[in-house]
Amino acid sequence: MSASILYARNLSKAVPSAEGELAILDDVSLSLDKGDSLAIVGTSGSGKSTLLGLLAGLDLPTSGEVHLAGQLLGALDEDQRARVRAEHVGFVFQSFQLLDSLNALENVMLPLELHGRPDAQAKATELLDRVGLGARLHHYPRQLSGGEQQRVAVARAFAAEPAVLFADEPTGNLDSHTGATITELLFELNRERGTTLVLVTHDERLAQRCQRLLRLEGGRQLVDESSQ
Amino acid sequence: MKHVPVSRLAMLALRQLMRDGRAGELRVLFFALLIAVAASTAIGYFGARLNDAMLLRATEFLGADLVLRGSAPAEPEQVKAGEQLQLQHARVVEFSSVVATDDNLQLTSVKAADDSYPLRGELRSAAAPYQPEQPGPGPQPGEAWAEARLFAALNLQIGDQIEVGNKPLQLTRVLTYEPDRVGDFYSLTPRVLMHLDDLETTGVVQPGSRVSYRELWRGSPEQLEAYEERIKADLEPHQRIETAKDGNRQIGGALGRAERYLNLASLAAVLLAGVAVALSAARFAARRFDASALLRCLGLSRREALMLYSLQLACLGLAASSAGALLGWAGQHGLFFLLRELVVSEVPPATLWPALAGIATGLVALAGFALPPLAALGRVPPLRVLRRDMLPIPPSSWLVYGAAVIALGLIMWRLSLDLKITLALLGGGLLATVILGGSLLLALKGLRRALSGASLTWRLGLGQLLRHPLAAAGQSLAFGLILLAMALIGLLRGELLDTWQNQLPDDAPNHFVLNILPADRDAFTARIEALSDHAAPLYPVVPGRLVAINGEPVRQLVSKESQGERAIRRDLSLTWAQELPSDNRLTAGQWWTGAQGDLPGVSVEAELAESLQLQLGDHLSFTVGGLTRDVRVTSLREVNWDSFQPNFYMIFEPDTLQDMPATYMTSFHLPEGKDRDLVRLARDFPSATILQVEALLSQLRSILAQVSLAVEYVLLFVLAAGLAVLFAGLQATLDERIRQGALLRALGAERKLLLRARRTEFGVLGAASGVLAALGCELVSALLYHFVFDLRWQPHPWLLLLPLIGALLVGAAGVLGTRRALDASPLNVLREN
Repeated sequence: MSASILYARNLSKAVPSAEGELAILDDVSLSLDKGDSLAIVGTSGSGKSTLLGLLAGLDLPTSGEVHLAGQLLGALDEDQRARVRAEHVGFVFQSFQLLDSLNALENVMLPLELHGRPDAQAKATELLDRVGLGARLHHYPRQLSGGEQQRVAVARAFAAEPAVLFADEPTGNLDSHTGATITELLFELNRERGTTLVLVTHDERLAQRCQRLLRLEGGRQLVDESSQ
Repeated sequence: MKHVPVSRLAMLALRQLMRDGRAGELRVLFFALLIAVAASTAIGYFGARLNDAMLLRATEFLGADLVLRGSAPAEPEQVKAGEQLQLQHARVVEFSSVVATDDNLQLTSVKAADDSYPLRGELRSAAAPYQPEQPGPGPQPGEAWAEARLFAALNLQIGDQIEVGNKPLQLTRVLTYEPDRVGDFYSLTPRVLMHLDDLETTGVVQPGSRVSYRELWRGSPEQLEAYEERIKADLEPHQRIETAKDGNRQIGGALGRAERYLNLASLAAVLLAGVAVALSAARFAARRFDASALLRCLGLSRREALMLYSLQLACLGLAASSAGALLGWAGQHGLFFLLRELVVSEVPPATLWPALAGIATGLVALAGFALPPLAALGRVPPLRVLRRDMLPIPPSSWLVYGAAVIALGLIMWRLSLDLKITLALLGGGLLATVILGGSLLLALKGLRRALSGASLTWRLGLGQLLRHPLAAAGQSLAFGLILLAMALIGLLRGELLDTWQNQLPDDAPNHFVLNILPADRDAFTARIEALSDHAAPLYPVVPGRLVAINGEPVRQLVSKESQGERAIRRDLSLTWAQELPSDNRLTAGQWWTGAQGDLPGVSVEAELAESLQLQLGDHLSFTVGGLTRDVRVTSLREVNWDSFQPNFYMIFEPDTLQDMPATYMTSFHLPEGKDRDLVRLARDFPSATILQVEALLSQLRSILAQVSLAVEYVLLFVLAAGLAVLFAGLQATLDERIRQGALLRALGAERKLLLRARRTEFGVLGAASGVLAALGCELVSALLYHFVFDLRWQPHPWLLLLPLIGALLVGAAGVLGTRRALDASPLNVLREN
């Protein structure tokens, strides 16, 4: 096994369908070191989100294996995988996925609290300040614009200082200007904190900003190239 | 775009309904309506048929459906009228006569009946005194049956001859039961039953003899009504018509209460289902906001969008209600199976009416509870297609609550709870809802402050509640209503069963003794005490007749056919007592105070007083033994007629009647297997008349046992409905929870944390609901006890357990019902993208 922070070998995922087994992902392998950034690109239905789900341990492959922070995910149950996520993983989603019942500060505190960090509030406040929302700590998601919500989501993603950050179309729901701001923020924090970044996008320009690029078509890995 | 024709909307609605058929909220809606309609149909059928059965029971006490009674034979036209209407007919003649044996005489009450007697119920007899009884036809010409006490009094054996007038008759069996004599405790002389064909040869019945003639009729309600109509106008002064409406008090009371209980249970089921309908309709609406916005974009008007969804719900409602009516119809068969002893096979077959009424109930509940959330669908702004966070303008709260209140009112009215009770329950319920809901809202707001320093579990658990306090208060009220309905039905069940159990404890008196001579009083008391642990005191009895009220002859004051009329037509058993009998209760005035008034006092039974329009202080005149006695009404009493204790309409102040010739009466419980002692008692006190009421008692017991079973069956139904609705309510919030669960899992939360948060949330919600339910239950039960059941209300401390029960029940149901949210795959978060 490699010493990579994220390592996947021969990943395949198939689901049953009316016509028999349907392969969504077929024999994908990759390896990322600390601080690397990878863009997964491809058309709709090419298996991008499936791959992201498998890499983050949200789902298990039909065959193949994923090692995240030294742990073989396939050998863990859902709760054990949740613990790995809590310790090593951050997420940014296309539709922000904030909890409506918690305010901005509480949403950012959430992963810190799952971690049992006593300084959750101070840390969350600092991060919200960093993403420019220091004045909106106690606003609920409904009271924030889309861009502001995504900034809260970014702050939340970095809060627990994850080793790997998974971002699924992070700018997909935002206008180009706001999208650019969020992109900047993501890469800045990625640099500052040495986080490994795995980014799913079909925005070629965004993909080009990553060190490496993995292109998928019909679930198959076309190319794993260095973009920079 | 042109208007879309309704027919096309209807087709579209139907197609969408088929496609959405598997959606959770539609299943819940369908299920909720199914339960409401099934419960109300089953109980509707049950109530109607129970009523019929009750009337049929009452007809048994007449031996017929209708009796024409007179002191002279009925006119031939009156008999012909019945025969023309093809009614079944039997004839009975009753008179007093001295029965002679070779060396003894005894005054008896003779009944001569034809072969058709009785038309309802059955005669029972035994082969020897105090032996097991068997049903069968009555004596043949030349034969006679007599009660056991005549055998004792005249030292007779089966096979002996007795003479009734000039006719010798052979005693062939011991008469143990005549259906039309069951409640008649006060027949003083032993009964002899003979065949009507022998009557003429006895020569006893002569013009001027005191004889009671009864024409017994049986037929369909329509035939009987026609017959009554035909003969009513030309009734002779001595004649009167008796029908099933003069039913038996003890059974009537018990069944009446059972029926009211069932109606309330049905209301509770409808209310529960209403809550489920409202919750699932809200989810139905919320899930269609996008689709509605899209349809509006595509050119559908608000009205058309609303119509589309209303049609969908109407189709669903009709299907669910029809299925519910069918289920209810089947359910009532189950209920009747439990009650098969009570409800004889001759109950007229059930009509379609309760099923139709059940379907109407379902549709009214749907309209009342689903319309308000549905109205939101018409208000979805088309802009929502671009901005998903745009929500419809909420409908006015008047519409939301008004519709539900109107629907509930209509259903209560249909369940024939009278207007006063309906208003009291609706008003009380509304008031309680507003006050409790308001306090809950305030409490939730206060909780937010307290929670800012609490642990993650608490913040996750209660965050949802605090974020939407109005929704949380609504949910708590809904769960509170569910708990309230279940607790109330449980509470009333216990109370009813206790009342019935108290009414007929195992040692309830099963023998009445009349005509105990004053000289035998002490000896008799001693014997009874040796025989039985449970004997009533000996009450003096003086026959007397009420003749005037405040100086006016009573006949002019009293309307025909009233209870008062029946009371003044015959001698009443008057008594005197120092103490108020233990199971009587004063409703007005005072028991003897010792103060001397101008006249001695009398205490009058409250219902009779009402029928005679008596007031405290009225002056009553009685003729007793040929003399007039004047008294003044000093108190009114409620009498427990169900108690099988000697009861009296009139209790005189002591020393008012003492100079009159009195006999004594009492009742006692004779344990099983002491029949020989009873025979000896009858021999040793030949003047005393011992009446066995064991048959009536066991009949009543079996009825109560079965009605209790029915009540429990209904309780189970309501509990099941309550739990179903609880789950339905939870399903309504499932979407949001699944999303939240998946997100938290993706962020690394363990199942344990989610479970703890859920337990906290539902535990708190359940406890709050329990508090609401306990307060509401006490309020509603106080109203019901007072207005509906005529029971005395006392606080129920066990209701304090409701918050705990609520926390456990809602907590467990909450965790179970939202299990899918706990197990939600974190992958869902990506899929939503």
